[in-house]
Amino acid sequence: MTTTTNEVGAPRVRSSVHRRERLRSPAGLPWILPAMLFSVGILYYCLLYTGYISTLDWDGASPLQVNVGAANYARMLKDHVFWGSLWHTAAFFVVTFTVQVALGITFACLLHSRLYLRTLYKVLIFIPVVLSTATTAPVFRQIFAPDGELNNFLRAVGLETLAHPWFANGTIALIIIMGVQIWQSTGVVSVLYFAAISHIEPDVIEAARIDGAGNMRIISSIVWPGVRGTTIAIAILTAIGSLKTFDIPFLITGGGPSYATEFFGTQIYRVSVSLSQVGYGAALSVVLLVLAISAAIVINAGGRRGGRADV
Amino acid sequence: MFETRRLRSRVFLQILLTILVVPFALPLVAMVRGSFAGSGWGNYRTVLSLPLLPGFFVNSALLAAAVIVIVLICTMTAAYGFSKLHVRGKEIYFWALLATLTLPEVVLLAPLFATVTKIGAYNTLWAVILPVAALQVPFTTLLARNFVDGISDQMLEAARVDGANAARTFWHILLPLTRPIMAAVVVLVFINAWNDFLLPLLFLQTPDRQTVTLVPSFFVGQYNNDQTKVLAAAVITGLPIVLAYICLQRFFERGLAAGALK
Repeated sequence: MTTTTNEVGAPRVRSSVHRRERLRSPAGLPWILPAMLFSVGILYYCLLYTGYISTLDWDGASPLQVNVGAANYARMLKDHVFWGSLWHTAAFFVVTFTVQVALGITFACLLHSRLYLRTLYKVLIFIPVVLSTATTAPVFRQIFAPDGELNNFLRAVGLETLAHPWFANGTIALIIIMGVQIWQSTGVVSVLYFAAISHIEPDVIEAARIDGAGNMRIISSIVWPGVRGTTIAIAILTAIGSLKTFDIPFLITGGGPSYATEFFGTQIYRVSVSLSQVGYGAALSVVLLVLAISAAIVINAGGRRGGRADV
Repeated sequence: MFETRRLRSRVFLQILLTILVVPFALPLVAMVRGSFAGSGWGNYRTVLSLPLLPGFFVNSALLAAAVIVIVLICTMTAAYGFSKLHVRGKEIYFWALLATLTLPEVVLLAPLFATVTKIGAYNTLWAVILPVAALQVPFTTLLARNFVDGISDQMLEAARVDGANAARTFWHILLPLTRPIMAAVVVLVFINAWNDFLLPLLFLQTPDRQTVTLVPSFFVGQYNNDQTKVLAAAVITGLPIVLAYICLQRFFERGLAAGALK
């Protein structure tokens, strides 16, 4: 009351602006509370708890918890399985991202062309996306088994010398894991590119064609720059996906042979559940989370900067 | 997109597409063929005659339904609040939510396990439902908020002028307008809940409480090395979701595309 009489104009203007704002949009806090309390509540609670556990020497069940400070993190530096996981994740990201983008753009362009049976092809590429790894893992284990489809095929065409137990070789096992991931997620990438390409003006492509551009030229000069935003989104999704990798190596190779297909997910599971070293598992989780957030920020920033340079 | 006016280029592109699709179809063919190896339909009869089998499907359906209900409620109210209502420091809340998009499931393993055993939820579906739903909400809220941003404010303002409060506006105006994105959310959440493997593996111990993603491992245990039964079980567990996809194809793709084209 007194303030309004002291200062004549300004407060009244502000209060009327404020009132109009209120009139336009009612209080929204109660509306976002369910999501914030439920999702952010559960997830941040778990994160803080993980951070706390990562400073303990604990088996996860017994009341005995010993505070060891940063010892779990120090142990990581000397753990060659951890560095292996890091290296496998990096290689996995580079390979799956490159192959998926190449295949995804090719499929999207082909599915936009006037060809026969497009819906059937699209469904076939997309079925691996909707099937869970738990469902498809047994068939991959069988295909690459010593007496599996691949070896039978090689023997049948007279290439017996090439046939061998594929999962016994670490590098090949890792390549198989990458292949299964590509098999599983190319459908998503193709659908994303398919949608992005529908937003490119057909006139631009038509004009380029009249000017004599071939298919490859149209892809590299019009389609590729046109779907840049989608490519960045896919890079972030693939990077986070690589760090999250668990189902495929866990169900197909179990991280073996001798840790050759170990990823963060499988290592954290093995350390926390099989070895009951929950403290060390939590420390690995914290590092994994930091890596995931940094990857998202770096790719996003890099993508934006590159985009501005192009303009 | 590609030049298909000349017959030669058309044939070439058709062959290229076919060659590229074959590797995607082969494992599916191998799966179905393998499930019929040995005793043919007998494999399916053995798997289907298992009295525990329907329980896995019921549990997965319950899991998916509960997760969908929770996620839909949280997502739609939050999308309305973030997009159309006044919240102080709105973007801070939104970023707190988005930051969890990077969160790998496995990071939650230790704290969830400790909490779940402490409150006695071990070996119950709730131990899986709540974390799975919590992990879905950030992404679906992002999707739904982008969609609601596209709805014109004038329509909501008109309702307000006519005397509708926020709740009635939400129920009678916003929800009918957001059906497409709700369908996309339901489909996405259904796939993720139905296919989740890690959390059921951790928290559901007895077969009568387990979900379909644990069926293949269950059969590996039951039939040891009999791959044909394991593959028959895999086909049976995969079939419902493939049929759902083929029937609802449009929603699946629209849901995914909606996420990328923000």
